[in-house]
Amino acid sequence: MTTVIGTAKRKVTIRQVQIQANSERYAYLFMRMSGVALLVLAVGHMLIQHVLNSSGNLTLLFVADQWNSWGWRAYDMFLLAFAVAHGLNGLRNVLEDYIHNPNTTKWISRFLVAFGIITIIWAGIGIASFDSEAARAAQEALRQSLGQ
Amino acid sequence: MQVQLRIRRYNPEQSNKPWWGDYTLQNVNRTDTVLDLLHRVKWEIDGTLALRRSCAHGVCGSDAMRINGANVLACKTLVSSFSREGSNQAKIQVEPILGLPVQKDLIVNMEPFFEHYRSVLPYMINNDPAPADGRERLQSPEDRARFDDTTKCILCAACTTSCPSFWANDKYVGPAAIVQAHRFIFDSRDQAPAERLQVVGDTFGVWRCRTAFNCTNACPREIEVTKAIAEVKIALATGEV
Repeated sequence: MTTVIGTAKRKVTIRQVQIQANSERYAYLFMRMSGVALLVLAVGHMLIQHVLNSSGNLTLLFVADQWNSWGWRAYDMFLLAFAVAHGLNGLRNVLEDYIHNPNTTKWISRFLVAFGIITIIWAGIGIASFDSEAARAAQEALRQSLGQ
Repeated sequence: MQVQLRIRRYNPEQSNKPWWGDYTLQNVNRTDTVLDLLHRVKWEIDGTLALRRSCAHGVCGSDAMRINGANVLACKTLVSSFSREGSNQAKIQVEPILGLPVQKDLIVNMEPFFEHYRSVLPYMINNDPAPADGRERLQSPEDRARFDDTTKCILCAACTTSCPSFWANDKYVGPAAIVQAHRFIFDSRDQAPAERLQVVGDTFGVWRCRTAFNCTNACPREIEVTKAIAEVKIALATGEV
């Protein structure tokens, strides 16, 4: 169905078209949006870890201090989720270029989705359950045992 | 000047294996085209050389070939582009376009290409009665400008056969078919943009484009092919044409 939604000031006719959406369209939109999000999240991560802080100071204590805040935990969870999903969808695109059997590509997609979900949940649990106090105590104990 | 011409030869009636034919041509002008050289080989050296050409002036699109690794029209490619200024030598290698089955020498089977072309309904669909005055269906210059670039396509297949996604999977409709779809999708007089978007929005449609830009580089009509594909992607994403 086509509906003319008007000719704008530029005299260009813009029409609204109803298209049956498919998963590829959503995958395309996701790649664009996650790409922009990753640009902010990944570049921000790199600036924080390697420019604003020296990479020599990236110890357990640094992580304990950072993950004391739920804001930073959320930041890292978003980074994790977008990076894993964006990367795996990219891998699916590459594989589907060269693997032509529809059944094989279907199973590859399913495997990659399952792998992505498990990775995100597994790493998400790691971030969410991280105990900053215990990490600080462990670091302190380590320092004392080394006599520093 | 002297040209060392290397042509990818293939004759399935003689051998299943392609081979390189080497030809040395003397007294070549820098302003000669590669098509002129191929004519000299065919007419003066080896009459069995098979190639397609028609207008020889870059309009019909029959003689798209891979020359020194790039898809071009043999009739628009001058010998001088392969020879330094002042040099009187040039080496030129000519192959059939990639991704389509070779029938003989430089002739490929274009049918898979045209099958994709036909799939996007490359013709005006408008079921409204003709205007009362019996003249053309009008549109503003701005509406016409939206698809002006993609009207220039001559279906030479240089873009589609330069596309790595098409080489990898020939089910991909390819840049040329998307260019043709674009020409009608954004035409305000056409009434079937949804049908065409359905075809190019398929798994083997525009999503297979990885924006390598080979198509844009290859187009002898200088159509901004990758841009046209991106506009179709945006139309699919927003539902607006």
